[in-house]
Amino acid sequence: MLPHLTRRWPVYAVLALLAYPWIWRAPYFHLLGFDTLLGATMAVSWNIMGGYTGYKSLGHSAFFGLGAYLVAIAANRWGWNPLWSAPLLALVVVAVALLLGWIMLRTTGSAFVIATIALLLIFRLLALNLRGITGGAPGLSQPLPPWSPEFSRLPFFYYMLIWTLVAVAVSAFIVRSRFGLGLLAIRDDEGKAEMVGVNTTLYKVLAFGLSAYFVGLGGGIWSYFQTHISPVFAFDLRIGVDMILMTMLGGLGTVWGPVLGAFILIPARDFILFRFGATQIHLAISGALMLAIILFLPRGILPTLQEWLERRRAPASAFVGARLMTELQDESAATASTPAGDPHSRVRPAPR
Amino acid sequence: MSLPPTSVLIQVAIGGLLTGGVYALLVSGLTLIFGVMRVINIAHGAFLVLSAYLAYWLFTLLGMDPIVSIAVLAPLFFVFGVLVQRYLIARVRQEPGLLVLVTFALAITLEGVMGSLWRTTGRSVRTAYTGEVVPLALGDLTVRLPIVQLVGFAAAVIALGVLYLLLTRSDLGRAIRATIQNPDAAQLVGVNVALVRALTFGAALASVAAGGAVFSLIWTFNASSHEAWISKMLSIVVLGGMGSLPGALVGALIIGVAEAVAAVTITTYLSPIVSYLILFFILVFRPQGLLGSRIREA
Repeated sequence: MLPHLTRRWPVYAVLALLAYPWIWRAPYFHLLGFDTLLGATMAVSWNIMGGYTGYKSLGHSAFFGLGAYLVAIAANRWGWNPLWSAPLLALVVVAVALLLGWIMLRTTGSAFVIATIALLLIFRLLALNLRGITGGAPGLSQPLPPWSPEFSRLPFFYYMLIWTLVAVAVSAFIVRSRFGLGLLAIRDDEGKAEMVGVNTTLYKVLAFGLSAYFVGLGGGIWSYFQTHISPVFAFDLRIGVDMILMTMLGGLGTVWGPVLGAFILIPARDFILFRFGATQIHLAISGALMLAIILFLPRGILPTLQEWLERRRAPASAFVGARLMTELQDESAATASTPAGDPHSRVRPAPR
Repeated sequence: MSLPPTSVLIQVAIGGLLTGGVYALLVSGLTLIFGVMRVINIAHGAFLVLSAYLAYWLFTLLGMDPIVSIAVLAPLFFVFGVLVQRYLIARVRQEPGLLVLVTFALAITLEGVMGSLWRTTGRSVRTAYTGEVVPLALGDLTVRLPIVQLVGFAAAVIALGVLYLLLTRSDLGRAIRATIQNPDAAQLVGVNVALVRALTFGAALASVAAGGAVFSLIWTFNASSHEAWISKMLSIVVLGGMGSLPGALVGALIIGVAEAVAAVTITTYLSPIVSYLILFFILVFRPQGLLGSRIREA
């Protein structure tokens, strides 16, 4: 393959995204683009906790809803413009996540997963009942964006694109850092990580807080985009499930996997919605898709693809020993309990 | 908040105990599955609602009383459970985070299927005795008990009794208890752990099928009801201690009474928060619950 093309593909991808709204001009495509980028940003964020650290939260919609409500309340009460208040108020979401993480991360395994669900339910119930602040079940409206409605989705699209790139950059930076190495060590074996001197509690709480940032931010931007939010939609369990689904489809614990997952899943679901209407069938299809991914593509597209490419390249080697090594690695990958192609990616998955 | 009169509280508490008995039946399978295979079956609520729907249709189309329909539904769900365990749960890498996702995916698949097959209208079985009450004299106080609650409670006690006998008096029960205590050791002494797991999942779904039939008598449901119910069921199981059957019974009675009392003392809207808070704080600060042992996971 052409080396400069493979190395520079993110640049071409960004250029394609910049051009996208001008090639497909219908508002529908701008909406689809925004949804996809929003999903990608949040999946990248969730992946910091769920992928790198291995703690899969089912309740990240709690941070999405919190971000959405903070932005709406600030816009109504103090006239804060969501475009700058969303990234700022997402820091408040992070503070809440750090506090909750500090309480919750005493648990591991299934107990953690259920605790995250309980957290979401508590948040939703509070949003429904603290009527003075949240407006109760009918929800909150906020001022419309100043720009004209027929063109309204374009600024949102580009604004979201910026944050998607920031999220990916942060995620890529983390996985290359000492901190990221600690997170991967926790995922592979928490006990051993603790033994070699990783402050596992601190690392986990920090990862949890960080993973809430872009989710809270996404919630804030979404809130402005929708102009009206209500507890049932802002604190929807499915928003969190989507983050998991996108990440697992693209590749759990990889930098670009969550983005790839979002770019496949969200247009695909839109097609299903369009084809079958907004019935319950799309829920059944989402569930079945999730089962299919877990059963048949448990490591996601990118790691599977990477392994396949490596295996194709391997027999070209003249050394018998090299071929033997690949086979041994395949064997150990098949028996290992962690998702790993080769021993190096186990510690530090090569970002694609 | 002002406390309602004692007579109301007694009435409410007795109603709560009856409800708690039914809760115990609803969650028995959930705790059994966790005990034997360390799987938190998020789909349990969806199976419950599915069974309630089938009981509803058996009643509406064939006039079969939900209590009688248990004889049809329990074997059906047993087979279903064995298949789900063999071809789904057992095929996935045995890691807690992933297993929860599998059962969650199963839950929303079932919800989607039920939602597209049937309307979103709330369903409930209305038999000839629905709405009837039995007066019970306690000294100078008369407590009025709805017949459906009594029938549901009786059915729950019988179903739990059968489950108890199965666990304590049969070879399968011994194998199940051995697997709960230590799967590796059980395997070593000749228990076919893979088979035990499949049969346990079947038995658990049979129990939730019985629960669903009772459920259709007492509560109104539609396809999305399972979300509220699985969270309540999880609170009960976590409170009692995950994997412990006596714990589930104690947890069910406590939540049944607490919920009924909370509904008349705090607002009805906010009363579910009691069970969510119980769930959250027990998980965090006392993960073994009241009667369970500390959760060990691979």
